[in-house]
Amino acid sequence: MKKMFFKMMGVLGIWVLLSPFAMAAGVQYQVRVDGLACPYCAYGIEKQFKQIYGVEKIDIDLEKGIVFVDAADDVELSEDRVKTLINDSGFTYRSITREPR
Amino acid sequence: MRQRKRPLKFLALATVVGLVALLAGYGAWFPSAQEPAYVFVDAWGEPGTGPGQFRDPTGIAVTDNEVFVSDARNARIQVFDHDGRFLRQFGAPGEGLGQLGRPMNLTISNDELYVADYWNDRIQVFSLEGKPLRTIGRSGQGPGELNAPGGVAVATNGDLYVVDFYNQRIQHLDPEGRFIEQWGTTGEVGIWAGEFNYPTDVALATDGTLYVADGYNDRVQVISAQGKFLHKWGGPFAMNIFGPFKGWFATTTSIAFGPQGSVFVSDFYNHRVQKFAPDGTFLSAFGEEGTGPGQFNYAIAAAVAPDGSVFVVDFGNHRIQKWRPHDSE
Repeated sequence: MKKMFFKMMGVLGIWVLLSPFAMAAGVQYQVRVDGLACPYCAYGIEKQFKQIYGVEKIDIDLEKGIVFVDAADDVELSEDRVKTLINDSGFTYRSITREPR
Repeated sequence: MRQRKRPLKFLALATVVGLVALLAGYGAWFPSAQEPAYVFVDAWGEPGTGPGQFRDPTGIAVTDNEVFVSDARNARIQVFDHDGRFLRQFGAPGEGLGQLGRPMNLTISNDELYVADYWNDRIQVFSLEGKPLRTIGRSGQGPGELNAPGGVAVATNGDLYVVDFYNQRIQHLDPEGRFIEQWGTTGEVGIWAGEFNYPTDVALATDGTLYVADGYNDRVQVISAQGKFLHKWGGPFAMNIFGPFKGWFATTTSIAFGPQGSVFVSDFYNHRVQKFAPDGTFLSAFGEEGTGPGQFNYAIAAAVAPDGSVFVVDFGNHRIQKWRPHDSE
């Protein structure tokens, strides 16, 4: 009975720990870019990202120089791919982070 | 002894030549205003999606009684009277006829509105009432194809001069969009005469001379009606040297003519509009960074009404400002 209780608690604990990921509908990438104040280039970045399959939404914070990319769970944006995309858009790539939404 | 004198003589000569060049350069590179400054009249607009509100205003064109504004993130064109009263709007997000993807610089020719439809890689033409008429161009790098058009000028015969931002070129197309010629090497940035570094806008003088806002080269380039490079201006040697001084630029994002043929250039990162004679002589400038009356948070585009009033798109403050010449009422 005790064993059963600990098993159940264990399963519950794992479920609690993983539930934010299970419930998250997709991921959000945050890409830091230098020189994002000009909308010509900002829109260029948006245009490039929205052509990637699985990308659902793009927001840009011009003041902070961050591109927010919301994508489906299975979309994997590698750093190299994003770096190329940013550089092709006329910007300097700084960093990328990936978090569940 | 003679050998010792020669270096001294050379040094003296070099110093004199250097000083003369410096003085000559100072006059050319740091010009003073030739005209009184413009006077702030009014401003309208705020962030939002309703009538008279903007999300990233980016382009502007005027008639003798109306002001057309590209409201980029709202994917629409808004129309106002010269006092900022909202009249109508048209456009919606999308790729179909009449739909827009980040509209940028605007041009009015022959009672038609030409919209640089940046995301859709085309020029879209509307009636001034807002009826979609036709589109010109398609995505690509080939002749007649576009990659993010930033602006367009229209000749009296209907030919188009399209700024092809990411293709680093200006294309001359016939009214049906057939390729005639281009300036700049496709996809290649350059800082020398006739080369471009993310060009943003273009304006056509009455004699057919083409003026290009060569955005990230921080300059204006001028091309003759015969297609030959004529001259350029903007900072020392007009070759990608930016700065806050009079006659210098920090990214040129639009170019327009005044009723007397003066050239008005939006100086984006310097938060101002600068006015020049057609030969590039600096005349005056107005605006400074800020959020108050007469201040800009990135001046991205300007258009001049027949009465000389200048309407400026204040990008970061999500509003339009109206200015008038100093000597007008």
